[in-house]
Amino acid sequence: MDIPYTVQPRPDTGVYNAKVGMWLFLASEVMLFGGLFSAYILLRVAAPEGTWPHGWLSIPLGTLNTLILALSAVTVLLAWAACKARMFDRYKFFQGITLLLGVIFLGIKGYEYHDKLTHYTVVLKDGRIADGHWVSATPSEVVLKGEFVAERSELADRRGRAKAHEEIRLARDQVQKMQVYGPAYNTYLALYFTMTGLHGLHVLGGLVVFAFLWGPGSRLWKTDPDRFTNRVEVAGLFWHFVDLVWIFLFPVLYLT
Amino acid sequence: MQATSPAIPASTHHPAHHPETGFWRTYIFSTDHKVIGIQYGITALCFLFFGFLLMLMMRWQIAHPGEPVPIVGPLLAAVLGDVAARGVMSPDLYNSFGAMHGTIMVFLGVVPLAVGAYGNYLVPLQIGANDMAFPRLNMMSYQLYFLGGIVMLTSFFIPGGAAQAGWTSYSPLATAIPTDGQTFWLIGMVFLITSSLLGSVNLITTIIQLRAPGLTWMRLPFFVWAQFTASFLLLLAFPPLETAGILQLMDKLAGTSFFLPTGLAIGGKLADISGGGSPLLWQHLFWFLAHPEVYVLILPAMGIIGEIIANNTRKPLWGYKSLVFSVLMIGFISFLVWAHHMYLTGMGTRISAFFQTTTMIISIPSVIILTALLISLWGGSIRFNTPMLFALAFLPMFGIGGLTGLPLGFSASDIHLHDTYYVIGHFHYVVAPGTIFALFAGIYYWFPKITGRRMNEYWGKVHFWGSLLFMNLIFMPMFVQGLAGMLRRMSDGGLQYSAAKVPGVAGALSGPILGLNNFILWAAAGLAIAQIPFIINFFWSIAKGQPVRSDNPWEATTLEWQTPTPPPHGNFLKPPQVYRGPYEYSLPGYDKDYVPQNQPPG
Amino acid sequence: MSLKAVHLVFVTALSALCAGLAVWKLVDFFRPTGQAGDLALGVVGLLCAAGVVVYGRYFLKKLKSVGYL
Ligand code: HEM
Ligand SMILES: [Cu+2]
Repeated sequence: MDIPYTVQPRPDTGVYNAKVGMWLFLASEVMLFGGLFSAYILLRVAAPEGTWPHGWLSIPLGTLNTLILALSAVTVLLAWAACKARMFDRYKFFQGITLLLGVIFLGIKGYEYHDKLTHYTVVLKDGRIADGHWVSATPSEVVLKGEFVAERSELADRRGRAKAHEEIRLARDQVQKMQVYGPAYNTYLALYFTMTGLHGLHVLGGLVVFAFLWGPGSRLWKTDPDRFTNRVEVAGLFWHFVDLVWIFLFPVLYLT
Repeated sequence: MQATSPAIPASTHHPAHHPETGFWRTYIFSTDHKVIGIQYGITALCFLFFGFLLMLMMRWQIAHPGEPVPIVGPLLAAVLGDVAARGVMSPDLYNSFGAMHGTIMVFLGVVPLAVGAYGNYLVPLQIGANDMAFPRLNMMSYQLYFLGGIVMLTSFFIPGGAAQAGWTSYSPLATAIPTDGQTFWLIGMVFLITSSLLGSVNLITTIIQLRAPGLTWMRLPFFVWAQFTASFLLLLAFPPLETAGILQLMDKLAGTSFFLPTGLAIGGKLADISGGGSPLLWQHLFWFLAHPEVYVLILPAMGIIGEIIANNTRKPLWGYKSLVFSVLMIGFISFLVWAHHMYLTGMGTRISAFFQTTTMIISIPSVIILTALLISLWGGSIRFNTPMLFALAFLPMFGIGGLTGLPLGFSASDIHLHDTYYVIGHFHYVVAPGTIFALFAGIYYWFPKITGRRMNEYWGKVHFWGSLLFMNLIFMPMFVQGLAGMLRRMSDGGLQYSAAKVPGVAGALSGPILGLNNFILWAAAGLAIAQIPFIINFFWSIAKGQPVRSDNPWEATTLEWQTPTPPPHGNFLKPPQVYRGPYEYSLPGYDKDYVPQNQPPG
Repeated sequence: MSLKAVHLVFVTALSALCAGLAVWKLVDFFRPTGQAGDLALGVVGLLCAAGVVVYGRYFLKKLKSVGYL
C-alpha cells in the first residue's frame, strides 16, 4: 500500500507530506522555545536591580560558535542544492562539512560548560568571598585560581574586567559554603544551562540525522534520488530552525 | 476482529501484493491507523475506568473521613502500606489519588480516546485516505503514550507514592513535597506531550495532504474539522507545558529555582536554594496549555455529536459553515483566555478586564455550535437509537457546563467561586456528561463499522438512562456545595470548616451541605453500576452481537461507511472520488433518503 | 516553505544580528567609557553584516530556479 505524495508534491497544496509534517513540528518547536524565552523575560524583568549577571560568558567563543552555525546553514543549503543538481559527491562533501561544523559547535559548547562547572564561589566563615577556577584539592585544603571579593554583588557585572590569576589557598575548615557555577548557582545560570542544553540536544538530534543521511541513509540515493533529496531538505529545515534559535540565544545570553 | 469480516482477502483487491504479517506486526507493532486507533481506544478506556475507581475511593473518603474504604480497603493497605494503614486513606494518599485522577482522566483517558482513538480510526476513513501520512510515526505516538501511562502508574508504588499537587502541579508546592512522585509525573508528562505532538503533526498532515480527489475543505465532515482544530491546539499549546515541565524537572533534580521565590520556607525552614524564581510563571505556562486543552476535550466530542445528529435526523446539519467557522474561532481564541484561571493571583484590573472580555467572546462560538446542533433537530424525523440518545443528552449537559462557566469568567464572581466545588461541577458537566457521553455515543455508533456487529440496543438504553440520571445526581449538588463555600481538594470533605467543628463561625458549612457528600457517594456508586451493562454489552457484542447486513447499517453519507466492514488494510476497495458535501440527507429526487459523498451526480 | 525560503529568513536574521551588534558596540565606543575593543567588535559586526547581505544576494541569484514553497 502506497501513501500518496511522499515524494511528489500534491498539486493543490504544492508540497509533499514530510515538508508539511516538518513545518508543523517546527511550529510546535517555536512554541517550546517561545515558552523558554518568555520564562527568560519574566524572570529577568523580575530580578532585583543590579543582580542580573553581565559578561559571564566568553563573547569570542560565542561569536565563533555563531559563525560556525551560520556556516553550517550554508553548507546544508549547498548539500541540498547539490542533490537537486544530481551531484552526489558534492552532496557528500558539503554534508560532511556540516557534520563536522556541528561537532565543533558541540565541542566548544562542551568546553564552555566545563569552564563553568570548574568555577566556584566559596563563602568563608570570616565573611570573605573567594571566586575562581578549581586547581586542586586535598582533604584539608582547596586551591582556586581567582580573587577575593568583599560583596557578592561585585561578581554580577564582569564586563571589561581582567581575569584574576592569583592562586588562593583555602583551608577546608574555613569554608562555609562552596558553590559551583552550575544551574543551581542562580537564575541566570539556570536559564543558561537549560536553554543552551535544550538547544544542544536539538543540535545533537540534527547531527544524528545528518550522520544517517551522510552514511547508511545515503543508499537511498541509488534507488530514489527524489525522495532522498526531500529528506535532505527536511533535515535542512530542522537545522535552520536550530540555527535560528541560536541567533536569539546568543545576544540574549552572551551579549546583554 | 478479522474473523467477523465478510471474507475479503486483503491481497485480492490490492494492486501491490502483501506478505502475510504475523501476530506481532498485525496487532502490537502495527502501522495500520485502524489498529493503532483501536489500541488507543482500549488503552484509554482502561485508564478511564481506573481513574473512575480512584474517584470512587476518594468519594468514600470525603463522605466518611477516616473510615476504612469498603471492599478494597485491605487491598490498599496491603499494596500501598502505611499511607493506607487499616484501609483508611491518609490525606497524602487522598492527594495522590486526586492528582492522579485528574491527570489520568485528562491526559491518559479523554484526550487519547477522543483524538488518539477517534482521530486515528476515523479521520483517514472520512477523508478517503488509505492510511495516515506517517504510519510509523503513528505507531511511535501510541508507544510513547503507553510508556507515559506506565510511568504514571508506576509512581503509585514508589516510596512516598504518586504526585500529590493536583493535576495542575502548582509550584512551589509540587517541588516542595519531598517525594519522587512529582518527578515521575513530570517524566510521564514529557512522554505524553511528545506523543501528542507527534500524533497531531500526523493528523494535520493527513488532513491537509491525503484528502480524496474532490474532497474540498468545505466538503469535509464536521468531525474532521473538529479533529483538525483540536490537533492544532495540541500542537501549539502543549509545547509551553513541556517547557514548564522541563523547568520544574530542573527545579526538582538540578536544584534550580525557576518557580521557587526568594525566601521560600519549607516546613518552617528557609530552603537552601538560589531563589529568584516565579511561582506565577508556572501558572501562566500551565494554563496557556490547559485552557486550550479543555477545548481539545470538547471539540472532538462536538464533532462526534454533529455526525450522529445529521445521521439520525436524516437532515443536513443546520449551518455547516457557521459550525466550521465557530470551531476555528474557538481554536484561535482559546489561546487568549488562559489567565481566567488565575484571577485570584492579584492581577491588575486591566489585565483581568482583557481576560474577562476574551472569555466572554469565546463563549459566543460555543453557543453558536450548540444552537446550530439544536436547530438541526428541528423538523427531523429523529431515530432514537442509543447513539442518538447520548447525542441528544450531550446538548443540555454541555449547555449546563457552559452556562455555569460564565460566572467563573467574571473576576468579581470568580473570587467567590474559585477553588470551590462549583468549579468542579462546572467542568465535570462539560467533560463527563458532555464529552464522555459523546465518546459513548461514538462507540455505539461506529461499533458496527469496526466489528461488523451491532451493540445491543436494549442494554444500550439501560446504560444511557442510568448514566444520565446518576451523572446529574453527582454533579448537580456540587454547585450547591460550591456556592455554600465548600473548597475543593480537601481530604476530609470540608469537615474542619463545618458548623459542627467551628460553631458560631459565619460561613461555616451546614450539616445538609456536608450531608450532600454522602448523597454524591451513593450516586457515584449508582453510576458505577450503570456502567456494568455497557462493559458486558461491549465484550458480548464483539463476539455475539447481531451481525450487520450491509457495510452502511446507519445509511450514512460519509466515506467511512463506503468501505468493506471492517475496513481492510488500505481501507477502500478502490480510491474514492468525492462529488458532494458531507450531509446530503433526504435530497428530493432520489429514491433513498441519503446520498453518499462518493456517489456520482445524476 | 522550502529550504531556500528558510535560508533567506535565516540570512536576514543573521544580518540583523550582526548589524545590531555593530550599532550597539559603536554606540558604546562613542560613549565616554568607550574602549578600543568596542570599536573593533563594532567594525567586525559591520563587516559581517555587509558580508552576509552580499552572500544573500549571491545565493538568491544562484538558486533562482528553485521555488519558495
Ligand atoms: C463555554 C464557556 C466556558 C467558560 C466561560 C469557562 C470558564 C471557566 C473559568 C473562568 C474557569 C476557572 C474557574 C476557577 O478556577 O475559578 C473554568 C474552569 C475549568 N473549565 Fe471552563 N469554561 C467554559 C467551558 C469549558 C469547557 C468546554 C471545558 C472542557 C471541556 C471546561 C473545562 C474546565 C476545567 C477542566 C476547569 C477547571 C480547571 C481546574 O482548576 O482544575 N470549561 N472554566
Ligand atoms: Cu479556561
